Amino acid sequence: MANAVIMPKAGITVESCIIGNWQKKVGDAVKLGDVLFTYETDKASFECESTAEGQLLEIFFQDGDEVPCLMNVCAVGDPGEDVASLRPDGAPAAEEAPAAAPAAGTAAAAPAVSVAAAPAGSDASVSPRARKLAEIAGVDAVLAAGTGPNGRVIERDVRRLMEEGVPAAAETAPAAAPVAVAAAEAEYEDVKFSGIRRAISKSMKGSLSSMAQLTHNFTFDAAAILNYRKALKAAGGELAGITLGDIILYAVSRTVLSCPDLNAHMLDDNNIRLFKHVNLGVAVDTPRGLMVPTIFRADEKSLLEISREVKELAAACRTGAISPDKLSGASFTVSNLGSFGVESFTPVINPPQTGIIGVCTTVDRPRKAADGGIELYPAMALSLTYDHRAVDGAPASRMMQELCRNLESFTTLLAK
Amino acid sequence: MPKSLFVDPAEVRASGKVTFNEIPVNQYNKTVAEELASGKYTKEDLIRIFRDMTILREFETMLNLIKTQGSYNGIDHTYPGPAHLSAGQEAACVGQAYLLDENDFAFGSHRSHSEILAKALSTINKMTDEQLMGVMEGFLEGKCLRATEKLGECRDVKELAIRFILYGTLSEIFARETGFHMGMGGSMHAFFLPFGIYPNNAIVGGSGTISTGSALYKKINNKKGIVVCNIGDASMARGPVWEAMNFAAMDQYKTLWESHTDGMPILYNIFNNSYGMGDQTRGETMGQGNMSRIASGISPTQFHAETVDGFNPLAVINAMERKLELLRSGQGPVMMETVTYRFSGHSVSDQNAYRTKEEVDAWREVDPIATYPASLIEAGVMTREEVDAILAETSERMTMICKAAADPAISPYCDFRKDPAVVERLMFSNQKVEKFDDREPEVLCPKEEAEGYKKIKSKSRSPIGPDGKPVSKMKLYNLRDALSEVIYDRFYEDPTLVAYGEDCRDWGGAFAVYRGMMDALPHCRLFNSPLAEGAIVGTAVGYALSGGRALVELMYADFIGCAGDEIFNQMSKWQAMSAGILKMPLVLRVSVGSKYGAQHSQDWTALCAHIPGLKVCFPATPWEAKGLMETALKGTDPVVFFESQRLYDVGEQFHEGGVPEERYEINIGDTNTVRQGKDITIITIGAALYRAVDAAKTLSEKYGMEAEIINIHSLVPLDYSKIVESVKKTGKVVLVSDACARGSFLKDVAQNITELCFDDLDAPPVVVGARNWITPPFEFDPYFFPQADWLLDAIHEKILPLPGYVPADGCTETEQLRRAKLGV
Repeated sequence: MANAVIMPKAGITVESCIIGNWQKKVGDAVKLGDVLFTYETDKASFECESTAEGQLLEIFFQDGDEVPCLMNVCAVGDPGEDVASLRPDGAPAAEEAPAAAPAAGTAAAAPAVSVAAAPAGSDASVSPRARKLAEIAGVDAVLAAGTGPNGRVIERDVRRLMEEGVPAAAETAPAAAPVAVAAAEAEYEDVKFSGIRRAISKSMKGSLSSMAQLTHNFTFDAAAILNYRKALKAAGGELAGITLGDIILYAVSRTVLSCPDLNAHMLDDNNIRLFKHVNLGVAVDTPRGLMVPTIFRADEKSLLEISREVKELAAACRTGAISPDKLSGASFTVSNLGSFGVESFTPVINPPQTGIIGVCTTVDRPRKAADGGIELYPAMALSLTYDHRAVDGAPASRMMQELCRNLESFTTLLAK
Repeated sequence: MPKSLFVDPAEVRASGKVTFNEIPVNQYNKTVAEELASGKYTKEDLIRIFRDMTILREFETMLNLIKTQGSYNGIDHTYPGPAHLSAGQEAACVGQAYLLDENDFAFGSHRSHSEILAKALSTINKMTDEQLMGVMEGFLEGKCLRATEKLGECRDVKELAIRFILYGTLSEIFARETGFHMGMGGSMHAFFLPFGIYPNNAIVGGSGTISTGSALYKKINNKKGIVVCNIGDASMARGPVWEAMNFAAMDQYKTLWESHTDGMPILYNIFNNSYGMGDQTRGETMGQGNMSRIASGISPTQFHAETVDGFNPLAVINAMERKLELLRSGQGPVMMETVTYRFSGHSVSDQNAYRTKEEVDAWREVDPIATYPASLIEAGVMTREEVDAILAETSERMTMICKAAADPAISPYCDFRKDPAVVERLMFSNQKVEKFDDREPEVLCPKEEAEGYKKIKSKSRSPIGPDGKPVSKMKLYNLRDALSEVIYDRFYEDPTLVAYGEDCRDWGGAFAVYRGMMDALPHCRLFNSPLAEGAIVGTAVGYALSGGRALVELMYADFIGCAGDEIFNQMSKWQAMSAGILKMPLVLRVSVGSKYGAQHSQDWTALCAHIPGLKVCFPATPWEAKGLMETALKGTDPVVFFESQRLYDVGEQFHEGGVPEERYEINIGDTNTVRQGKDITIITIGAALYRAVDAAKTLSEKYGMEAEIINIHSLVPLDYSKIVESVKKTGKVVLVSDACARGSFLKDVAQNITELCFDDLDAPPVVVGARNWITPPFEFDPYFFPQADWLLDAIHEKILPLPGYVPADGCTETEQLRRAKLGV
């Protein structure tokens, strides 16, 4: 009798997972331990190994589908066996699934033995080094034209892919076929969210729909920190790697506690948790989307330590090696869009936090000089979004004023 | 082959007869009364002999009960380890030990509990209280003594020492941290150096060569005392034992050894209990009848051999007296066959299927534990009550010892959970010792006047002379010179350093590393050994663990097989089995051949690297050779030092400025990056380095690839950091050596690289080794040993296709599978 393979429970708190890619297709012979498909949570990606042996008879969910944990995902058994009883409620039967239809049809028509012996064909081998590089660069190594022994995709192939894009040959290659076909037929492309995108979507929508957010914009004279940064650069070594962003993180870590309600979590409408230390969330742009790792106890760390940790965390986010523990637990967040030339924006709070500072670009602004004339000074803008349920405008603004003062006399802050 | 000895055809071809002396068998016939009357013994002496015998017997009785019933005198204990008991052999052991003291070294076998205890009891009797307290306090920082003191009040120091030796031995057997070697040796490897009790050995006849090496140490370094090699009758069937006896009997000690012409101070004592395990050596598996016959086939002195009745302690003492006199007057080696019997089986699982109850009973009738005290009572030395009192005291003491050794509160096991590195720390001693004795090294001329040394010093250290032209081969300082230079230096620093092996002296070593050294060193420091690899390595083990530094050579690495036990079980294991008490400053030079066919061309590094406890080096450049030999000859660990016959003549091509004049050490475990590159890593061992250099040249010139070449000159230990760093950089790695590929050391390196660098690998690590064949004649070398183009083939087919390259020979996956299936 046919057996179902279920969506594994990837962790105690994981309720559902998204299917990444099917590695087997209907009709393929399947052995115990063969990888059937990849699946992802909002934090990590896994491989699902077959718990049954035989032929892959029917697939109940397709690439990109979200499947509750422990639900039947596919059926494995002897050719011709009835799998109706294994279909989860609501899952379409094989003949109704448009994407799988041709494959399923072929499988049903062909004699079982020849189908089982047919090689997968589409799974090009990729060297570990090439795979790692592709992951960091955010490209799909399978799309590269393999020039290693036996057509293996090796490092140089991924580098070429990064420089020159998908080679013509690969666009018609079997592996890329479904995407290519879809793109040719429609003027648009429907893309299922990755786990991370989905997490972002959920969190941002939840944020704006459940909180009373408003934003204050400030500017300060950035001459002090720009000069200090110049001095660091001249000092060389590790100090030269300290960025303006790091300096602002440091200043925030030393200032935000002046308004404890901003360094806090809203537990519900009636309770707030005030943190004794500043666990600073730092927004990081990665090939897979926005990630916010945490610098724990930033208020106890030196500028250099903060700078070092930001770099490590960002690198780990980009390679996907970041520990899930580092992706939660922040008490306040800083998001820096200054390098994109953004002059002012409305950062969205990462719940259950109560505040977030957006760092904007620096522009030269005129002001009245001491001698009565007009002078230009470098003005950097900061945008604070706070949850009005927790904090009022005056204390929030006072914190920001102090932050601006601290940044304007940064070396004095360092001395504290 | 010394020129001073003339092999005269007239003499060798002259007609005559080989004659033998008669060998006395059980000639002792004195009564106790006669011995008392002669004044040789006091009553106390005779009683003490009995007391010692009871202690030995009770020890084995206790172990037998613990093993078979899990209980002794109400103490329940489970002991899973070995117990090769010697009940029945007490009179032989006590008799042998009676005249020995702490300067006499006794080595033993797997059945040596009685030997250990007898030697200890005899030594305790001879030492003063102060000496005894010094020994006990000094041993393992008094750890063992502190545990012994927990046994309770003690009437005097000698009794404390008896408890100490019983407790230390039994806790060692019970694998306790308070044992003499933290339990790491156990029943078959127990010993106690301060009383002159040297290692026993679980390999049949294992002590044959080792004890001979210990005697060599005493002889060369003029140390007090003699060496006793206790082996069983069955071990006389083993080759290394014969090799050892021949080594001890060499004519050169008399004919050539200038100031050291005394015979070897060693007694080969064969405890003949008529059985190996279950095989009967008398009448079944051997043919000598009396083992004392054997020495007649080794030396005209017949080792002054005799057979003595080991069931009578006084007969054994009588014989020992005569043997010691011979040894102390320089007439060794000597041999005794001590006839005895074991009442217990080979081990406690022995069903005694090979002997009858009648036979055992017949021997029990004459059991010395009963007959000897009976003779004392008859002679009026002691009364039955006194006998019973001694038996009671012995039993009571043994009960106390057993209780303490079985009690984890007093005798804890090593805590592997808390300290998982407990054995790890014992594997190597990692010390540096300039010299093992303070006396002036014995030499024939100052180092600076030695012709060979001067010649080395005059050579060009770099292949390019100051004029920018290549230096001629004769003037180039090569790998051979690098080794010689260090060996000269060390000979003039460490007076205990001795070098020997096949043709080391007059010939200068088969590959001339010792050439000329005979003019600088007396025979006792550099000599030709018999062509007997087991004896060469085994005696060196004994020499090193007795306190000297040994440098020995097997002409070809292929001969490692002839010294398998000595290298793999003895040289490698004693440091850790002794919990670090023994050191093994022993360097074993072996050379990897070429041109001489299948039994003279093998790189067996993998065999040595596989065995825990050996350091393994294989320098491929003169710079490496000099630095590694310097380190090896100052260290305290056993090093198997591989050399390639293809490389003795090479000059230094990689190290900037050539080989330094001054002395330096290379850490065993380092790697040598001889070429920098970013595109592919080539890991090499041995002479294959030079073919890798050729391949790297082609890769650079034809394919624009820069190879990084890392030579592994130290296989064990090995620091992978530079290898990992390089492979992470290049993502590609090919490994090459002249060892047959299957199971080679590089396969292990490749495996580790795969684990350590997996995500950085752009292709699997590929090992290029020799074919898994016999080595064909030299003319076919390119078909058997890796060549530069084999590396290119491997790179092209498995790592990175080279544009336009046509592989010469298949190293495709199909070929790989086919060959594996055929086992070739």
